[in-house]
Amino acid sequence: MMTQGVLLFCFDTEHTRYHKILERCVRLVKKNISKNITVVTNFDTFRKMSPMGFIEYKLIEPELGNTLNGKAWNNVDRHMAYELSPYDTTLVMDIDYFCFSDNLKNLFNTEYDFLVPDTAHDLSGRNSFDQRRWSMIPMVWATVLLFKKNDKVRKIFDTVKYIKKNYSYFTEMYRIYSKNLRNDYLFAMALQQINGFVGYEKMPFALPTLPPDCEVVEINDKGLAWKHNNQISYVQDQDVHVLNKEIADV
Amino acid sequence: MDIRELKKQSDLSYDIAVAKRNALEKAHSRQVLAYNGNLFRADPETICVVRTLKENNSKFYILDTNSNPVEIKDADDFLNKLIERNQEALNTYHQMYETFTRKGE
Repeated sequence: MMTQGVLLFCFDTEHTRYHKILERCVRLVKKNISKNITVVTNFDTFRKMSPMGFIEYKLIEPELGNTLNGKAWNNVDRHMAYELSPYDTTLVMDIDYFCFSDNLKNLFNTEYDFLVPDTAHDLSGRNSFDQRRWSMIPMVWATVLLFKKNDKVRKIFDTVKYIKKNYSYFTEMYRIYSKNLRNDYLFAMALQQINGFVGYEKMPFALPTLPPDCEVVEINDKGLAWKHNNQISYVQDQDVHVLNKEIADV
Repeated sequence: MDIRELKKQSDLSYDIAVAKRNALEKAHSRQVLAYNGNLFRADPETICVVRTLKENNSKFYILDTNSNPVEIKDADDFLNKLIERNQEALNTYHQMYETFTRKGE
């Protein structure tokens, strides 16, 4: 029997209570994806979490040092997803990706070894995620990854680890503007390298994304509303990747 | 001419345009269908190709969203699922579109 599940990474920082975001994310995964869930976290974050039903936990110490806008950002452990996942088929998701639909569940019923989206849809209507101009290679959105455990995928993750170890060299080589470690670029470079510098398989949809300057004002199990330029907009039954970390306090 | 009224109308039109784009994107995402281990888009092109191919043979080959060739063994079942998913997505879009029309009036 092949096992399937969702793997989530969650580490609180001094500024952001990520465990609050995780609690919302888990509720939606249970409702709309209906798969087993494993949360990778550390003990400090784990002890703050409210009970969320049957979930498997893996406690690790996150690698520190990465920042986003001058604040600690513990996001550099994604390269260990292959080893940490207990499942044959794993959907790795950022905890600020809220699945208000069951679209991602579709992906479990496929035979692809590794899938990642390569485009994002700006829900605020400004097309602000055209990242090509910030590097030489097309970016992928490592916000959501689907992988199967096999030799080919293990080599992808081995390449991710190698690039991470030599990150500054690779960011220079690919002329990546952003100097902090981003999983998006890490996986984009690894996928290009391991696939012989040609194409790779992708998720056939754009990741609906809310830019950081959009303030989430309300969220429930159906969707969310945000404020931008004194205008309120909303989506429902549509997945949303929320970049504004203040959502922990909504 | 009341410039505030014009600005209000302009803001409303912009909001409706953004909401419409988001609803259309939602429909596009919803049209993705997993069938026999591969992903397909339940769009008019796929539906027309499947309908045309099945006129000659119940088994045929078609490309998935990653350009992999896939053998379709039960054309009727595949076509039904494509149409069902296409109409589900567009029905939701239509309902949303109706609310935009009312807003704009």
